[in-house]
Amino acid sequence: MGSSITTWENVSAYFTFADNPFALVLFALGAAAILVGLIISIIRHENAAFEKIK
Amino acid sequence: MENSPTLESLQAALDAQQAVFEMHQAMNIEVFYWWCTAIMLMIHAGFLAYEMGASRSKNALAAGIKNILAIAVIIPAFYLFGWWIYNAFPNGFVPIEAAAALPWSASMGPDVQDMGTGIFWAAFALFGATTGSILSGAVIERIRVSSFLILTIFLGGVVWIMAGAWGWHPDGWLLTKFGYHDLGASGVVHAVAGFFTLGVLMNLGARKGKFINGVPQIISPHSLPMTLIGLMMIIFGFFGFLGGCIIFNGGETGWSTIYGTPTNLSAFAFNTLMGFAGGIIGCYIATRDPFWTMSGGLVGIISVAAGLDLYSPSLAFIIAVCTGIVAIQFAKFLEKRGIDDAVGAVTVHGFTGLAALVMVGVFAGGTPNIEGLPAISFTGQLIGAAVMGLMGFVPGYGLSLLLKKANILRVPEACEDIGIDEVEILAKPYPEGSVPAMTAMTTSEVPNKLASSEA
Repeated sequence: MGSSITTWENVSAYFTFADNPFALVLFALGAAAILVGLIISIIRHENAAFEKIK
Repeated sequence: MENSPTLESLQAALDAQQAVFEMHQAMNIEVFYWWCTAIMLMIHAGFLAYEMGASRSKNALAAGIKNILAIAVIIPAFYLFGWWIYNAFPNGFVPIEAAAALPWSASMGPDVQDMGTGIFWAAFALFGATTGSILSGAVIERIRVSSFLILTIFLGGVVWIMAGAWGWHPDGWLLTKFGYHDLGASGVVHAVAGFFTLGVLMNLGARKGKFINGVPQIISPHSLPMTLIGLMMIIFGFFGFLGGCIIFNGGETGWSTIYGTPTNLSAFAFNTLMGFAGGIIGCYIATRDPFWTMSGGLVGIISVAAGLDLYSPSLAFIIAVCTGIVAIQFAKFLEKRGIDDAVGAVTVHGFTGLAALVMVGVFAGGTPNIEGLPAISFTGQLIGAAVMGLMGFVPGYGLSLLLKKANILRVPEACEDIGIDEVEILAKPYPEGSVPAMTAMTTSEVPNKLASSEA
């Protein structure tokens, strides 16, 4: 579904969704959201861990 | 006669050979940087061993997990915005057009026609990860993993590469206005990361028990041998790092510096090894301490890296020895002022990186750049050093101050007492109680114990 090519003749960028900038923006935002989510999850984990030793 | 080659058939054969040659040349370029990147990962294996060894056993895994996660967050951060920053900001803070480097560009992925972007991005991403590891060691045993990751994303994905766009880009303003020369990234990677670390340490504070009534105390690492092996692994990784600092050109040009001037790997080989040896000797003379002696190898390489293509090897050796000796004085200076840099990162990377830039001005001033650009000069290098120091320190101090104000910079005191592994990591480094040299190390001299060298 995501292939950006139908033939290998005269191909340049051939990765999934290379011809769909909107999808690429969404994926980039998704990747950024994962980084933000990771930090938030670590903060929560730390807060919970520190709470136990109070 | 009918089988004799015609002019047209000879030309066609020649064109075919030329196409084969060009494809193989492009593949060679890819192969070279692929292996440089792979070898650079050894830097991170080394930092991992080095930081875990330098920690007390109660914090060994926390130091390790922090380092592993740093690489994991810097790589996507560098994909999402780091590569664009490098391409967009050579003129300062105002971006130029660099849409091809945005993460949603068709250039930022597998492309049959582009055999350069991915491999250069990868090498730069690993340079960025190195900056994160430089910060990581200094802050062990008291920083929160979450705040460390915020800091490291900012350092490895934004700060150093902005400095890289200014001083390590063919159109960077430090080069075009001042003839700045920083071939092996002494400034853009090491000085920036080192002074960013200093800014963080000022807000983070010392490990509990490091200073009593202002007098620095010995905090023993749990495995000095692990730190020494880690440092040697970092040295190995530096050959990938420095290989990534040379430009493998197509066509007739051959090797060049990132500034477009001619050089070759032979030049790098002479001065990398002579610097390595000199740094070890300098730090050994100044301390007799095993940790600092091995760290001296890093000091030596970084001290000559900025002018790696220009120095006579004997001069590189002398520069490295002298920098090693002076760097120890700088480390003592920091410790006397209450800075607890657990692995000497500010000294090894920050101080040495700046010294390396200035020494290029002292010893290689007058060396021409390519046509139309100013020659290397003492003033230009001094300005570059000041920019790199500030570029690291100001963001590091500012962001860590914000995190401190938000009360998420440092672990609670009780956690520091118990150990971060026990509280947060939920795993034990030595579950069967066989902590390496546990009893012996508690009474021995230790890394970063500068006071011991004053005897």
